[in-house]
Amino acid sequence: MRSLNPLAAAVIACLAFSASAQQPIVLQWQTANLTESQYEPVWKATIAEFEKENPGVRIEPVLVARKDHWTKFVAAAQAKKAPCIVTVDLTTAAYNGYLMPLDKYWNAEPAEFRRAWSDAMLSASKWKGQLYGLPIWGGTYAEIYNRDLVTKAGLDPAKPPKSWNDYMVWAKKLSGSDHWATAVLGGKTDTTTRLLLMWIWSNGGEAFNADMTEATFAKNPKSLEAIKFYLGLVKDGVAAPAPTTTNYLEQTNLFAQQKIATMRNAYWALAKVSGDNPAMKGRMFVAPGPANVPNAPTLTSVAASSISASCPYPEQAWKFIKFDAGKKWTVERAKVANWMPTRNDMADDPAIKSDPLLAQFVQIGNNARSYPLPSPIWAEIAANDIVDAVQKALLAPEKTEEIFTDLDARLTKKLKDV
Amino acid sequence: MFLFLCAVVLFPLAHAFWTSLLRVRGLSSRFVGAENYQHVLTDDAFWHSLGVSLTFTVACVVLHIGIGLAMALLIDELRFARTALRIAFLTPWMVAPAVGATIWLWLLEPQFGVVNYLLQAAGIVSGPIAWLGTPTLAFASVAAVDVWRGVPFVMLLMLAGLATIPREQYEAAAIDGAGGWQRFRYVTLPNLRYLLIVASTLDIINTIRHYDIIGVMTAGGPAGATEVLPVLLYNTAFRGNRFGEAAAIGVLLLLIVLAFSIFHIRLTRPDRGAR
Repeated sequence: MRSLNPLAAAVIACLAFSASAQQPIVLQWQTANLTESQYEPVWKATIAEFEKENPGVRIEPVLVARKDHWTKFVAAAQAKKAPCIVTVDLTTAAYNGYLMPLDKYWNAEPAEFRRAWSDAMLSASKWKGQLYGLPIWGGTYAEIYNRDLVTKAGLDPAKPPKSWNDYMVWAKKLSGSDHWATAVLGGKTDTTTRLLLMWIWSNGGEAFNADMTEATFAKNPKSLEAIKFYLGLVKDGVAAPAPTTTNYLEQTNLFAQQKIATMRNAYWALAKVSGDNPAMKGRMFVAPGPANVPNAPTLTSVAASSISASCPYPEQAWKFIKFDAGKKWTVERAKVANWMPTRNDMADDPAIKSDPLLAQFVQIGNNARSYPLPSPIWAEIAANDIVDAVQKALLAPEKTEEIFTDLDARLTKKLKDV
Repeated sequence: MFLFLCAVVLFPLAHAFWTSLLRVRGLSSRFVGAENYQHVLTDDAFWHSLGVSLTFTVACVVLHIGIGLAMALLIDELRFARTALRIAFLTPWMVAPAVGATIWLWLLEPQFGVVNYLLQAAGIVSGPIAWLGTPTLAFASVAAVDVWRGVPFVMLLMLAGLATIPREQYEAAAIDGAGGWQRFRYVTLPNLRYLLIVASTLDIINTIRHYDIIGVMTAGGPAGATEVLPVLLYNTAFRGNRFGEAAAIGVLLLLIVLAFSIFHIRLTRPDRGAR
């Protein structure tokens, strides 16, 4: 019997080795959007197909509520256990050492693959000259209108407002005792900042200097004028009440329930609104945001997939990122989840061109600045400092200049402290 | 036992203190001595948050104790359905704070929330109220939710205290002609005095380090009106990525809680109870 023991041990060891050899590599995948119902069918199909093609790799989605997404990522990254594939505020994450440079993988790809992304699009995914993410999808912001409410107010959907003055004329006609033209966003997420930036740009203003070392919200008179106009929509009675608690979710709810007639949002909001209220499908139209200067840019939010610095399987993670960035899933994301393509070889794709609203968003996006802005502390200032200033100004409009002057000083100090 | 204490208390505390002496940026850090403390203590945001924390704590503890005691007295007087009522009143305390806060967040939603709907339907208000949209209302709302959640614990303690008061004392007071208020003033309160102090101290410790309800409902907004110290700590660490400063805030918060804890321990030490 005694002689059997080593043999049994060897057999068990072999079986254990064989079992572990068959264990697939597990890659965790975390983006803020996996919990969004409009995207769920797409990401599930993406994973299923990838795993079928790559039996040795399993993708494990990490479902996190949008507002907890960054926090969870940071906590995991600090413990060096961050999910391998992540979509996060790229510059901030790269600056903090949470992400892996991808140049090695990117440069090894054939030129044809690399040509699918413009330099401008890739620049949003770089930090200090190194590539930290592959842009997977984007969202160009535009003004979205409820056609029925516009028509009911005696306005012509074919002639949407082009200037702020036009917009105010429309806003007054679209507002009533229990409904409003639009919603001003002041809730505590960076969406508040996105909208504020667009209004500033629409007046020829700038929120920061060119190298992002100085804030100019109040210093630039055009910026201050835009801030006062935009936040003043609440005081003027043409924006929904409670702006300090209004964010993407509340804004789209108000629009879906026809409490507001227009909202500044991205292409994906159409899917959200149609999902919340199917009767709204086909009843929306889109136009560039009103502007006081010619060729005012809008904002395109770029979501890039990155590999976390602690990922033990970067090759497999890159393989999945490439798979997810493929044409098939780009089209699926656009059609099902209303997420715009970031590849420049998709604009003429029949599936993209066949959707007039998407085509219009793509056209509006031709004059857009990429977001997030390139600062390593962007995640903090966009969701905290700027939002706090917006909230304070909404609560005390007469102090707007003072509040944004303080913000300039606070942000400039932080930006120089990086 | 000592090893266990080291693992779950001393090591995390020492690590937090060490972190408070570092300038942490993501995965890199360097020693900066007391710089984080200096920065925190000269930052208006800290003193503002401390003020909000103290106001929130005092308001909530006073209401917890007052309402908790009143409810305990009410239930103690009942002859029927005491157990059922006890369980019913305990429900808010049993619900996870984040879950309760999320429920209230939707109840208080300005346009589609049930609270505004009921108030408007009853003709009490003419338009929707932004419960979490202005500093005063937001503060009152989160305090109200905290009271909703915190009262049952005090009620439970008081019920236990009431059960220990000898009935003879009430009978003697009745014979002496004492009315309801006098029985409460001269029999109930003196007997509950010690328990009230203990409950208040424990409640202060619990409330001042409270994060979840405010974190979920307002995240400290609007414009910092509800940014209590734990929320400031969280925002500094996870939104601001300034872990060193956040650790310094944590250590300062710990000192505040520690002061109340020492008071509590001194109050409840056995030799004092024997006296």
